[in-house]
Amino acid sequence: MQLAGQAKPPAGIVFDAYVGRAIDDALALSLLFGFAAKDEARIAAISTNNPSLQSAAYCDIVERFYTHSSGFGGLPIGLADGKPAPDSPMLTALLANPAYSTGIRNRNDTAEVAPLIRNALTAQHDQNAIVIVTGPATDLVKLLELHDTRDWIVRKVKLLVFAAGAFPDGPADFNLQSDIPAARKLLAEWPTPIIVVGNEIGDALPYPASSIEKDFAWTPHHPVTDAYRAYHAMPYDAPTRAMAAVLYAVRPQEKYFRLSEPGTVTVLDDGRSRFHASGAGKHRHLILDPAEKQHVIDIYTEIASAKPAERKPRFPK
Amino acid sequence: MITQKALARRTFLRGMGTAVALPFLDAMVPAFATAATQAKTPVRMAFVYVPNGIIMDGWNPDYEGKLGALPRILKPLEPFKDDITLFGNLTHNAGRALLDGAGDHGRCCASYLTGIQPRKTVVDIKAGISFDQIVATQIGKQTRFPSLELGMEDSRQAGDCDSGYSCAYTNNLAWRSETQPLPPILDPRALFERLFGNGIVLSPEARARHNKFRRSVLDFVADDTRKLEADLGPADRRKLDEYLTSIREIERQIAKAETDNAAIDPHMEKPYGVPADFAEHFKLMTDMMTVAFQADLTRVISFLVTHEGTSRPYREIDIPDGHHPLTHHRNLPDLMDKVERINSYHLRQFASWIEKLKASKEGEGSLLDNCMIVYGAGLSDGNRHSHEDLPTLMAGRGGNYFKTGRRIVYRKETPMCNLFMTMMDRMGAPVENFGDSTGRLEGLDLA
Repeated sequence: MQLAGQAKPPAGIVFDAYVGRAIDDALALSLLFGFAAKDEARIAAISTNNPSLQSAAYCDIVERFYTHSSGFGGLPIGLADGKPAPDSPMLTALLANPAYSTGIRNRNDTAEVAPLIRNALTAQHDQNAIVIVTGPATDLVKLLELHDTRDWIVRKVKLLVFAAGAFPDGPADFNLQSDIPAARKLLAEWPTPIIVVGNEIGDALPYPASSIEKDFAWTPHHPVTDAYRAYHAMPYDAPTRAMAAVLYAVRPQEKYFRLSEPGTVTVLDDGRSRFHASGAGKHRHLILDPAEKQHVIDIYTEIASAKPAERKPRFPK
Repeated sequence: MITQKALARRTFLRGMGTAVALPFLDAMVPAFATAATQAKTPVRMAFVYVPNGIIMDGWNPDYEGKLGALPRILKPLEPFKDDITLFGNLTHNAGRALLDGAGDHGRCCASYLTGIQPRKTVVDIKAGISFDQIVATQIGKQTRFPSLELGMEDSRQAGDCDSGYSCAYTNNLAWRSETQPLPPILDPRALFERLFGNGIVLSPEARARHNKFRRSVLDFVADDTRKLEADLGPADRRKLDEYLTSIREIERQIAKAETDNAAIDPHMEKPYGVPADFAEHFKLMTDMMTVAFQADLTRVISFLVTHEGTSRPYREIDIPDGHHPLTHHRNLPDLMDKVERINSYHLRQFASWIEKLKASKEGEGSLLDNCMIVYGAGLSDGNRHSHEDLPTLMAGRGGNYFKTGRRIVYRKETPMCNLFMTMMDRMGAPVENFGDSTGRLEGLDLA
């Protein structure tokens, strides 16, 4: 029941990421929690389309870190089906660190992604959910195929932000190449407008290693800095396509990026992408305004390194 | 005993205004019947619903797979653990607020068997057809009653019972249509007369007059009984005698409750034949469920033990506090202990019923083997009003189909409706989807 005149809360974000392959998605998760701490977004669902238990455990650790949750009553973490990916060194290092705890020890501690997202959408105000996918489209296509779910998507979701491809041209993209049929189906059948974020955006906005050393100094243990250090020998700057997807989804009204004209993204057989402008197309892709580059990086570092919101007492005195 | 002509499965002992159905007897199996020609033993299902959640720490084992030592609340089921399946992580998303605000008790009960979030209203109620009624519609013609809806407390259908949710939501489990709930029968006498009578329901006053001259229904069918016994073998005669004795015992208990109630207060408001003692009432209702299953009077039962949000005290076990207020225990050990004692008390009554079903022979096994008796609640943690990892167990093998004696934990957010899909298959009433189902539960069968 959505009461007339009732103010909508911040957008509910459904975040389906490929956590563990690159540091970008981990940074994007922290950026999202940073926005949630500032009440600019609500996290409706978190899932990883990397079918590795470690990947889900990382998401759980981050969720606990930001929400002070002891696990009980926290957000369930969605985990993709499929052959588990090899353990990621960056996640292995983090999970071995006694500073962090997770309740995810086997697959039954995680949720199947499609019903998790469907359930999350049912709890959102109409046209107030934004779905972000920063990995293969496999899970979103399963969502589309769940019975009675397309109506929920149409009713609840304002926008899909899909980190995929490269524009105007570029090499094959992992997010497309991993499941080309799913990417094609998602782009063809998803019933809301789609904003596509190409690799060129992330490459142009490197996350500065100096921020890892400086901006997170308020805590001796932060999951994203420990993951960052384990991912590569420091110092290094990291591409941020997933972060750009989150930033656009939460602050679409800001002029950090321009949007292409409407058109259609097609997926080539080798995992590359093409964009064809057309008035009837429902896809657009992000275009970086070079003048905004430093501004965007400043926002990344400020929000991703923000402290968690203070814990609210469950039983007020 | 081998006869050329088998006794019909739906044979009744008849007398004045009385029709007593028979349990499954050997004489009902045709002589020289092969497996292919033998009538298939029916599968029955029942739901036993308890309100206000459970102390989950005392319910969930810390292991999966074969059941070992049972947790505190489940201890009464220890002798029957090879006959039960304990489920983990089943969820009813439709019970959650989903922008409708307070009212978890109303929602969780109304959505429990329907899989649908009910409309928040006290006037124009709307939920959905419950899956037991889908089954009843599909197979109900094979039995005298397509389904039975039973309860033990409060059948008000109007008014606000939870934050703007009609009492129709908290006081019914079964829904014939999206606007028509099926109120449970609370009074054991009314149930008895439904099972064995000719369909006429007497007023309490008329019943009291009638009681003065009451004879057992068995007296009315005595002639038929004698004739039948003459044609039965020793094993069937023994089974028939046990069955009729259990009916006589039910009658005796109902008569006792009526006498006791009249002695306490002739003008009392509670239904005339309802025993004051919770355990006695539970036993009477479940004894009649047993008879209903034995005699194949119905294959579908829902039993709302007490209603969501109930503030019933449990003085029988030295708990004078109301059940619902206690469940908002704020993690205070003293209050949690009382809730757990109520949870355990309910389980003890349930275990007694399971014992009875297991002791009742049917074919080569027990009546329990041919049942799916689900015991559960629409909330897990009653303090937080959680709708995930709902406490759910199933007793029985559903016709020797389920591999029991295990705890099976599914992935988080697995819809409870997936269990219903599996049960509908077993009942011979499969559907493509139900509520928010995503498929059937996997890994349950013997294969």
